[in-house]
Amino acid sequence: MSAQPQPSSDAGNSAGTAATASESRRLRVFRFKRGDERPHYETFDVPTIARTTVLDALRWIQIHRDRTLALRHSCLHASCGTCGLRVNGREALACVTTVRDLGREITVEPIANLQVLTDLVVDMRELFARFPEEHALVRESEFLPEADPPEGIEAFERYEDCIECGLCLSACPVVVTAERYVGPAALASAERVVEEPRGAEVANLLAWADDPDGVWRCHAIFECTVACPSNVNPAARIMSLRGTLLGRQLRAQRREERTT
Amino acid sequence: MSASGSRTPPAHVLIVGGGGTGGALAHDLALRGLKITLVERGEFTSGTTGRHHGLLHSGARYAVNDRESAVECIEENTILRRICPGTFEENDGLFVAVTDEDMEYHDDFVKGCAECGIPTQELTRDEALALEPNLNPALKAAVRVPDATMDAMRMPLRFFATAQKNGADLRNYMEVLELVANQRVVSGALVRDQVTGKVGEIRADLVVNATGPWSEKVAAMAGVDVPISPSPGVMLALRGRLCNMVVNRLHRSGDGDIIVPQRALSIVGTSSWTVEDPEELDVPEDHVRRMYEEGVKLIPAVAQAEFRAAWSAARPLIGSRGAADTGRELSRTFKTYDHAETDGVEGFLTITGGKATTLRGMAELCADVICRKLGVEAECRTRDTILLPHTELFAA
Amino acid sequence: MPGAEERRARGPVLRKGLGPRPIGWLDPRGRSLGHVAFVGNRITGLGLVFYLYLHLGVLSMLLRGERAWNDFLGLATTTIFLLLDVLLLFGLLYHGLNGLRVALVGMGYVPNLQRALWWAGTVIGTLVLLAGALHILEDV
Repeated sequence: MSAQPQPSSDAGNSAGTAATASESRRLRVFRFKRGDERPHYETFDVPTIARTTVLDALRWIQIHRDRTLALRHSCLHASCGTCGLRVNGREALACVTTVRDLGREITVEPIANLQVLTDLVVDMRELFARFPEEHALVRESEFLPEADPPEGIEAFERYEDCIECGLCLSACPVVVTAERYVGPAALASAERVVEEPRGAEVANLLAWADDPDGVWRCHAIFECTVACPSNVNPAARIMSLRGTLLGRQLRAQRREERTT
Repeated sequence: MSASGSRTPPAHVLIVGGGGTGGALAHDLALRGLKITLVERGEFTSGTTGRHHGLLHSGARYAVNDRESAVECIEENTILRRICPGTFEENDGLFVAVTDEDMEYHDDFVKGCAECGIPTQELTRDEALALEPNLNPALKAAVRVPDATMDAMRMPLRFFATAQKNGADLRNYMEVLELVANQRVVSGALVRDQVTGKVGEIRADLVVNATGPWSEKVAAMAGVDVPISPSPGVMLALRGRLCNMVVNRLHRSGDGDIIVPQRALSIVGTSSWTVEDPEELDVPEDHVRRMYEEGVKLIPAVAQAEFRAAWSAARPLIGSRGAADTGRELSRTFKTYDHAETDGVEGFLTITGGKATTLRGMAELCADVICRKLGVEAECRTRDTILLPHTELFAA
Repeated sequence: MPGAEERRARGPVLRKGLGPRPIGWLDPRGRSLGHVAFVGNRITGLGLVFYLYLHLGVLSMLLRGERAWNDFLGLATTTIFLLLDVLLLFGLLYHGLNGLRVALVGMGYVPNLQRALWWAGTVIGTLVLLAGALHILEDV
């Protein structure tokens, strides 16, 4: 399948051979270049081993069959969010989706609800355009709560769960017909800031979310939460924002009633 | 001579390669007023840059064996924290001694760090366990260092975002097919636009090869050779954040001696071997096993953690192939090659080597060379320019 | 909404030839429980609206006098019609119970229990539907 590795110690270990036994799988890949009248699908037979991911298979195609196949990837470990695709119709990160789990023929398409640039690459500007101004990358770490941070560090911090992959937006059936809906990722990011402001203006974010195309466009379908590869649980966060907005509205009304 | 404010059009530099090096160089040169085009065949950082474990190096790993690297790292570590605020998990790191042999290295290590300007704090076993309860309880001592975690893609994207804002033309999904060269003068590149499928030419005053482990391939397009050893290593991502601080093994470099937390994942790395072609990297099963074997020596919970991914990334190490089998012995510094000087080919430079942490420093060095070559009088301003957030790169 | 002008200027999202199509919300195959529940809600909702108009139409027969109404009652006690009544009961139960679920979840109370609530509603609804069906079809 590819160049032989030269690892610095034992190769040809018998426990390795089962894992490296090659089998062929068929990939049906969405193709589109700007200027084409319509997209089409191309089929490739790809050699795979136990570990081969959909992204590995696509890169094999790119290297050995068609250099013009455009792909998006970066970290190869579900941290950058660039390799989002629809695999057999379901949203997935290609770098952590094992080919052997999927059946003999696999259909690979770009994620939905964002404009296709070329082949499997979509225009992510449309995803980022939906996010509110305040969009923090770092939050306090809730892992290992029994640990003390070292001297000079107030609290352990970690990157936010959301990796801006767009799978939630792709999975949401509402976006299909309500294109202006801001979408799960954007709303979830607003809720994160409401939950942990870190100096941000929470009132602005609540006002931003309190919009017919904001939290109120959601129909509680929960596809976004199912599709999310990073445990963001956007649906629950949207509901939480609604709860907060409702609470504020009711309290404001009660205050108004008391004063009039 | 063209200085900022003159009416001659600014010199045009074409950067080939959209990794951290290319992005940082585009940013530096854009601030100096040059016209920049950057071409990257895939998504930005889709080569080696996006794949590393995310360590913002304190340099401590090199404090004993490779002082030059260590000093570069700690300087850039400090600068990056300043120009990219809010982009790191700033929890510091630990070097953990597990065996008596490790302890023999302990004093040299602390001394080496001090000599390189890397602040350390010596910790007892109990103090270390209070900071990181998941550490191997058999540990003997630990040293705290200013490591941090970076998002391997998002941090470099801040350089891209700022460069774009300052006028650089950054073109991803553009693959260089050939360099345009005539009589040993490189004047541009023939590129295929992956979005349209069409082929075209980009002309420039200077072409810079910033393609990391692909440097040799691209240099060959101009008929020159650069001594780059693509040196891959395997990494393992596990679900669950097993530590908040970066955890390193206190010994001379070896496989599987670092665990970097990242979001809700723990990355165990890494190993090392050399290849001819960085295009398709294997993930050798015995290397993955070794990550588990070495990882549990630092954090036993590695054994039970749920598997997320295993992958390889190729370091661009400088040195001629054949000098070493594993690639670890090669220097980790970076170099700029002006091929007019080294090979008699005008209009072409290669910048290569380096680590993710030193991207800005590499770019400064290379930009200085470029500006001298092009007669541009402009100082580097990247040490103090706060970068735009990575999301700005995607602003319509 | 941010970016709306730019998006409109770039034209519609290229969706031809790929799912989901604009009617894509209707396709719950391989989709999660939440989606199935939502589709069920929309279909029963449409059905109930249709039934409402139908019901008003039926009631308007009262204006036409006793004989017209008795003719209708004859139709209304046929087996087919009674089965349709059971279907109506299903629609009311589904839409009502799922509606309760959506209301509770949608106000932020128990979003992570949405699946459990659906199953609870299904159990309650099935029991009531069976009891109701037995009663409606008793003399058939």
